[in-house]
Amino acid sequence: MSTKTSELVITKDNLFKGLDKTLIDYQVAALTKKSERSLFDYVTSSSEIKLEYQPTVLSPKKFFFPQEEVILEYTSDGKISAKIDAKPLVLFGIRPCDLNGFKVLYEAFADDHGDPNYLAKLEQSVVIGIDCKKICDKDSFCFKVGSQNALGGFDIMLYELDNDYAIEIASEKGRKFVDKYLTTSKARGDEIATFQAEKASCFGKEKPFKNLEKFPEIFEQSTYHPVWEQEGSRCLSCGSCIMVCPTCYCFDIKDEWQLNLKQGERIRNWDACMVRSFATIGSGENFRHGATARLHHRINRKFNYLMKKHGQAVCVGCGRCVRACLAEISPKTIAAAIDGEQG
Amino acid sequence: MKNKLNLQEKNPNLYLPERAKILKIRSFSDKEKFFEFELLDRKTSGHLPGQFFQVSILGIGEAPISITSPPSNNNRFEMSVRTIGDVTTKLHTLNVGDIVYVRGPFGNGFTEATTNRMLNKHLLFIMGGIGYFPLRSLLNKVVPEREKYKKISILYGCKTPKERMYPEELAELAKIGGNVELLETVDRIEGDWKGNCGVITTLIPKVDFDPSNTIAVIVGPPIMYKFVLKSLLEKNMPKENIYMDMERRMKCGVGKCGHCQMGGIYVCQEGPVFNYAEVEKNEELF
Repeated sequence: MSTKTSELVITKDNLFKGLDKTLIDYQVAALTKKSERSLFDYVTSSSEIKLEYQPTVLSPKKFFFPQEEVILEYTSDGKISAKIDAKPLVLFGIRPCDLNGFKVLYEAFADDHGDPNYLAKLEQSVVIGIDCKKICDKDSFCFKVGSQNALGGFDIMLYELDNDYAIEIASEKGRKFVDKYLTTSKARGDEIATFQAEKASCFGKEKPFKNLEKFPEIFEQSTYHPVWEQEGSRCLSCGSCIMVCPTCYCFDIKDEWQLNLKQGERIRNWDACMVRSFATIGSGENFRHGATARLHHRINRKFNYLMKKHGQAVCVGCGRCVRACLAEISPKTIAAAIDGEQG
Repeated sequence: MKNKLNLQEKNPNLYLPERAKILKIRSFSDKEKFFEFELLDRKTSGHLPGQFFQVSILGIGEAPISITSPPSNNNRFEMSVRTIGDVTTKLHTLNVGDIVYVRGPFGNGFTEATTNRMLNKHLLFIMGGIGYFPLRSLLNKVVPEREKYKKISILYGCKTPKERMYPEELAELAKIGGNVELLETVDRIEGDWKGNCGVITTLIPKVDFDPSNTIAVIVGPPIMYKFVLKSLLEKNMPKENIYMDMERRMKCGVGKCGHCQMGGIYVCQEGPVFNYAEVEKNEELF
């Protein structure tokens, strides 16, 4: 990959002080711990932030695309208005897998029709990434799908050095944020290269799927590969893989009256193409026949249909679905089987 | 399949529907009703044949419903609706003067390029049951300008005679004569039905058509497509001369929510009108 040069570095101490300063103007969400579990959540002080990454159950997509979100408000006498709820947010410590997820989600929600709810939240946010120096656990496979480095999705990226972080600024929003809140010092210029050399000593041993770039065509031709039935026949159709996925963005829409029957809301919530009812039409017909076909659909979104459009594997290899799946189904296993066939 | 991104700024009104007042209602049967609506907040419906609106009833939900009237320059449009889910069932309880909300029109519809292909050709409409509804817009566009087409053959099949939709309109179509012909069949004879009995494919041999100079448009229940396609292909109809209007569960109408996907295709964006040659290999077509 190309070598980036950093203009600025910041000490860990100044970084945390800067984040505390932002709390006046922004909500801050970061990696933190609750009952010994790592999660991305809102914090009220930088002391709650964990810098050592441990995989979270849910991806940080929830800050831009909440599990449940009101999109319209209306009254029984017919007043109706769009509801767009976006507050200034600093998202701190997002890793390359999830940043690549943010890139995909931005593109998906902006494609053809600009989704007001997602894009308004994104506009109000400053995303600060932290690059990974090591592979987080046995289930993650970012390096198999070209996702160990962030292709986008951030305003500022931090690269961990011995005592400092080198800063890469990726947007005007990021530059303004650094100028206003962070006490930095001038970089020598080779910090990111030093970081990347260290990263390569761990990640460099791991090779991506050998035909990764050709996955859309290969998956297009692999509809009848035995791996689909082999994995799909175990699927419990619970949809957990989708709830935890940083790049699944399908949703359902429902209407609800409040108890007074005077005000109502239209709400969108996460939905799951792995659940049977997802594709059922009014007459009860369903053109996606069974769990194997549903798995085929979901994985083809990641490595075929959407990969063509976004120019990157839409599975970012975070490993969350692998950890969540009770039937031990993994996109990595499926992709490896299909990749292997191509010699 | 669409393979390029087309990034847009946010549209604050993407999910905000507009008011439409019910002007007319009539029942075809216990399950199907006809509605005429007037858009109160704009001057034209701006739709193409084959497009749909997302129809909202506040507190109940939103459902994709085909527009059955031909394109026009005013703010009125028609729909015919079978009670099948929450929104359609509630819609059937509404009265003239009541307000519903709509977003759209959505979908590709029969675009100008597609309708231009139809000029001077023999058009074969193949409609099953309420497949009449999504095709009626196109039908009522081409029939009044029938001199532009070699011939218009309308093949309509229903389960029973009382399930025939728009019976008066069918009577009118039967009377036109000239280059417009209507052939009907029912699966089961009831009452004093004197016409054909049998599935819709039994009508295809009764039409005299030159497959290479004919464009077929098919809409009906999912089971119908396979058999109609088989009959047409046996007659050597070129695949690119066959159009189908597909039903899927469009929830958002703007290519995001994923419900309507047919393989990689968002039917609400790239459909619901498809040329058979372009989708014949799609695994989730039927």
